[in-house]
Amino acid sequence: MGVTKEQVESLLKSKLNPSHIEVIDTSGGCGASFAIEIVSDQFEGKRLLERHRMVNAALEVEMKDIHALSVKKAATPNEWKKLQDSDAATPVAAS
Amino acid sequence: MARPFTNVLLKGLSGVPAFCSSRSLTGSFYHNGVKYSTSIPNDPDTHEDFRPTNKLEGSGLSLKDVVEQDVKDNPIMLYMKGVPDFPQCGFSSLAVRVLKQYNFPLSARNILEDPELKTAVKAFSNWPTFPQIFIKGEFIGGSDIILNLHQNGELKEKLKDIVARKEESA
Repeated sequence: MGVTKEQVESLLKSKLNPSHIEVIDTSGGCGASFAIEIVSDQFEGKRLLERHRMVNAALEVEMKDIHALSVKKAATPNEWKKLQDSDAATPVAAS
Repeated sequence: MARPFTNVLLKGLSGVPAFCSSRSLTGSFYHNGVKYSTSIPNDPDTHEDFRPTNKLEGSGLSLKDVVEQDVKDNPIMLYMKGVPDFPQCGFSSLAVRVLKQYNFPLSARNILEDPELKTAVKAFSNWPTFPQIFIKGEFIGGSDIILNLHQNGELKEKLKDIVARKEESA
């Protein structure tokens, strides 16, 4: 019954045409909680709030069964490239 | 003022929140860490003038009006699971932790207490999850967005004149 990582991934793929997407199931298997990283040129020129709204809209029906959705990254391909470059240059501090 | 709560906050903040408790706490509206209860005490010694007013019931306001009033009256308005000093969800906890760094007045309502308010807030912002943060009447987003705005400096920018106003009055 629960929403699967694959469902979330394929919905986002079909609606936002991402060049990179990573969906992590953070629910421990029951399908209620996901963390998402998504890169799409459809985010170009849009504020973060609007980008999150696009993700929420793509999952509108499924959101009823998703308990928690964390959009860790919603970047444009350009921003994503910069992020990758800077991550490579500076090691991430241990938290 | 924040010191006694530090332990509670840190406890709620460790690790990635995988699920949230739906248990409810008493108390409803928080402002600057002061609780404004919406329940009317049955203490006969309390003159009615001094009893807490109940904003959510009996005021003739619809819940949508309440939300509108909240975000208008409170420079930083947070709808969350739990209360700022005892968040009941890792995401709400994260939002509180970020906002508390700026040391400005923080107002919050606990949506776990009131399913109808929860529905009204979701409809108002057209946003499916909690916490939800409003700054100067503008819907900002949830915990991912507030963290991001904090990290890139936009939050500081948004809060600048609130902080300034606070210093003036101090």
